[in-house]
Amino acid sequence: MAVVTSLAHIRNFSIIAHIDHGKSTLADRILESTGTVATRDMKEQLLDKMDLERERGITIKSQAVRIAYKAHDGQTYQLNLIDTPGHVDFTYEVSRSLAACEGAVLLVDSTQGVEAQTVANAYLAIDNDLEIIPVLNKIDLPASNVPEAELELHELTGATHEEILIVSAKTGEGVDAILDAIVTRTPPPEGDTAAPARALIFDSEYDQYRGVIAYVRVIDGGFAKRQLVSLMRTDQDAEIEELGYFGPEMKPTDRLETGEVGYIITGVKDVAQVRVGDTITDKKRPAGEALPGYKVVQPMVFTGLFPTEGDKFEELRDALEKLKLNDAALSYEPESSVALGFGFRCGFLGLLHMDIVRERLEREYGLELITTMPNVEYHAYLTSGKMTVVRNPAQMPEVTVIDRIEEPYVAASVLVPTEFVGTIMELCQGRRADFVDMKYLSPERVEMHYKLPLGEIVLDFFDQLKTRTRGYASLDYEYSGYRQSDLVKLDILLAGEPVDALSLITPRERAHLRGKALVTKLRQKIPRQLFEVPVQAAIGNKVVARETVKAVRKDVTAKCYGGDISRKRKLLEKQKEGKKRMKQLGVVEVPQEAFLAVLELEPGDKDR
Amino acid sequence: MTGRPFDGPVRHLYVHVPFCRMRCDYCDFVSRALDVSGGRAGAEAARLLDAYVDGVAAEWERERAAHDVRRLRTLYLGGGTPSLLRPERLERLLELFRPYLTPHAEVTVETNPEDADDEYASWAAGALVSPATGAPRGVRVSLGAQSFSPALRSVLGRTAQADPAEAFRRLRAAGVGNAGLDLIHGIPGQDADLLAADIAAVLKLRPDHVSWYELDVVEGTALATRLAASRGAARLAGGVGRVTALDSTAALDPAAMPADPADDVRATGYRRIVGELSHAGYDWYEVSNFALPGRRARHNVAYWRARPYLGLGPGAVSTVGARRWTNAADPVVWAAALSAGEAPPRTPETLDPETRARERFLLAARCGERVPLAEVAAVVDQDVAGSLAAAGLVSLHSGTIRVTRKGRHVADEVCVRLFRSPHLRG
Ligand SMILES: Nc1nc2c(ncn2[C@@H]2O[C@H](COP(=O)(O)OP(=O)(O)OP(=O)(O)O)[C@@H](O)[C@H]2O)c(=O)[nH]1
Ligand code: SF4
Ligand SMILES: [Mg+2]
Repeated sequence: MAVVTSLAHIRNFSIIAHIDHGKSTLADRILESTGTVATRDMKEQLLDKMDLERERGITIKSQAVRIAYKAHDGQTYQLNLIDTPGHVDFTYEVSRSLAACEGAVLLVDSTQGVEAQTVANAYLAIDNDLEIIPVLNKIDLPASNVPEAELELHELTGATHEEILIVSAKTGEGVDAILDAIVTRTPPPEGDTAAPARALIFDSEYDQYRGVIAYVRVIDGGFAKRQLVSLMRTDQDAEIEELGYFGPEMKPTDRLETGEVGYIITGVKDVAQVRVGDTITDKKRPAGEALPGYKVVQPMVFTGLFPTEGDKFEELRDALEKLKLNDAALSYEPESSVALGFGFRCGFLGLLHMDIVRERLEREYGLELITTMPNVEYHAYLTSGKMTVVRNPAQMPEVTVIDRIEEPYVAASVLVPTEFVGTIMELCQGRRADFVDMKYLSPERVEMHYKLPLGEIVLDFFDQLKTRTRGYASLDYEYSGYRQSDLVKLDILLAGEPVDALSLITPRERAHLRGKALVTKLRQKIPRQLFEVPVQAAIGNKVVARETVKAVRKDVTAKCYGGDISRKRKLLEKQKEGKKRMKQLGVVEVPQEAFLAVLELEPGDKDR
Repeated sequence: MTGRPFDGPVRHLYVHVPFCRMRCDYCDFVSRALDVSGGRAGAEAARLLDAYVDGVAAEWERERAAHDVRRLRTLYLGGGTPSLLRPERLERLLELFRPYLTPHAEVTVETNPEDADDEYASWAAGALVSPATGAPRGVRVSLGAQSFSPALRSVLGRTAQADPAEAFRRLRAAGVGNAGLDLIHGIPGQDADLLAADIAAVLKLRPDHVSWYELDVVEGTALATRLAASRGAARLAGGVGRVTALDSTAALDPAAMPADPADDVRATGYRRIVGELSHAGYDWYEVSNFALPGRRARHNVAYWRARPYLGLGPGAVSTVGARRWTNAADPVVWAAALSAGEAPPRTPETLDPETRARERFLLAARCGERVPLAEVAAVVDQDVAGSLAAAGLVSLHSGTIRVTRKGRHVADEVCVRLFRSPHLRG
């Protein structure tokens, strides 16, 4: 039975917040109190479906769900809720989701107050003309400081005391008031039910059997099963095989009407043809204009991914291809390394994104990978006037032909309690950051703006920020263009042989110190070998640091008689198995973690 | 070597004697404590021992029928504590095998110092007879000394405190011609001086053979538990893992027991043992074994050359061709099956050709024996062999590979590197 909901009874909203402020938990309570999910099927952060999301306790992908809500006016409303990720690497997911909504619940952990992604996401919502419903969460916790957090939220959104709701997503207290506010404060969708059908693809998923599943928000008109449609930007025609809504699992229906959120499956297998941001329209009665799409997301961080076993290259290619179907932000191109063989240079939105992709490749595709040190994309301008893109230190041209090198900068905003202003200034100085300005959010909290090289953030800026402010600071950043820097390539040699996969690009002024710190770290990371192995750092031909990995003195079990042979053999076989996580570089065995050693340099090593 | 590892007729026999007076704290051998002091408990022990000897007889009959067993070149009575059987029962055991020994068979009896009294010594010196001259020929005795320092022995929980040096002299005096010593190094508290004292004591006695093992603290043993507890106590007291030097005559206070000597200390001690024994004319012919010329333990050499062998007794392991099996460890279960005319419960293992090749190589590696590359080509990576040869850890010579003396110190890692990745699943 198809019940058509009038526009006036539809509310589309996202839940947005800084990471861990409780978005997914609030979604749980909403699903529970509206009876969308039966109590027995309830589990924590139900909308975090991926194993990785559940294990790490974070949302990676936005998730939509339709809810029937009986409001205080006695009427039943169709609410379309989209839970979004909070981590800065996935901001693009948030901005897409917002384009499908009229309202946003801006959640703030009242024990933490407004943080960097609270600000970033609030601005995204404002830019999208959404009604913001500010909510303070975790009021059940003793550390909750509602007045302080309220002040900050007021500063950020202009909301009054009456407009700011308080809730505990854990106990469920205050959830009903949020639902009520969604109905009364969020405007209903504005589309034209009679106009030619248009739907925005705000996300997509690839299913091995069914092809591309487009997550859509219907803007005008409606769609039905078997309808012939076309994709406006790619000019691809298709027939709707199935459509429906999320409940939260996919529930097929006969129609999707104006204002509704749901999914459309056309049987198109080629993801390139069903792009996120594209508009689906009726084939026979097409809309005149496509909806404004999304900015294409650009990867910011690059790293080499290599299979530990050389013959797994093709498998890795297949896996990356499949993963990309569900992860538009991932990019990859083949790369070869003298040390590591054939692999791919992959582009990511940030380190968390990188980590997640790596883990999915290992887990879902059974691959064992070596990740090389992440770096940003440099632009090397040659004396000939040409420009070379450098995504891998090994691609850096010879010093003699380089005129100048440019690196990407970001505009960063750091939110901290005022007592840490000095700490932040000190940290930023060591990271080649230029101070822009500073703004008070409340007497206790400031928002500091900086321009700094993205490369610094990729290293450990964020960790340092957290450590030095005891977790009180939060960071948001946005790409802001390329700038010239004085950079050099630092090479690492093992047993006298340069290892291309360990090279890195670094500011000249810090090259020596970083070289020293890196060889020390490598010496610690590389286990004793059967012979002494010198570890050196060099700039050009000049060795700037050297350490030695000592030789093992004794490694043999004392006893091996008739009764011990099996046990002994199995022990050696197991050790051999353990070596899979080692890479043989010439005569040296290097554990995979060593390739990421630069990320672990002691804070002091990188600061000077 | 002819044929594949462990192929061919059986000429080597091991008999496991799974009884001891008391369990030592570091022991993880198949053995149970037996009260042989006399009285009611003694009578019970006697019944168990008699059942054991009968079981060995029955198992020997079965095994001889089941396999191609030729005249035995070596027979080894190991334990446990075989000397606990005393000459009377040892005679009964030997009687079973005498008809099947080659004229020059090596017969070894592991012996604990407290058993090596005059009666025992004279039995050992004359237990066999030279077929040519009819003159008495002794068995080979392997004396479990462990350390000449009573303090270190008590760290090991070796409560029987008979002086190993005296025991050894008694054996020699009675005319035991082939006598070896078993020792342990790396004992908690065994500093450089204490180790030097043990080395000096060994060289003074000049045994024909020396087995000198590094202490392996096996999880679950009393020693492991005690060490863990004392480490905890030391940590609480603020003195973490300090190795204390001690007077060799003083008893060790277990509460003040230091942690394991650091690996480097053990490595240094081991190199010192190898150096001094080699200097004194002993051939370092296996990782932990040293022999005067002509005195290698032929029985053990057979293992290390991957010859087929049979093992009798509870917990004993046999390997013949592609089959390896381990007897049930419980002497009662084992004996009951045999007395009922059945084979004792066994855990079998099948050795595929690659496994046998790997074992062949790892055993040879410990002895520095040459192996034709053709025999191990399937399991040894020749490229790695080349790089290890360049580092002096193996030597490649006219189609053979050998782990050098330098490589023997790190033989495990050498094997792990050389082995191709096995397909181990399943
Ligand atoms: N005590 C208490 N804990 C809460 C409350 N809301 C959320 N939490 C806890 O806060 C943690 C983060 O909650 P999530 O719902 O995963 O946060 P999120 O905002 O979805 O996080 P991301 O999706 O990773 O950005 C979890 O451990 C929740 O149990 C609350 O009201 N009270
Ligand atoms: S004498 Fe040997 S077998 Fe018996 S308990 Fe001691 S170490 Fe173990
Ligand atoms: Mg979440």
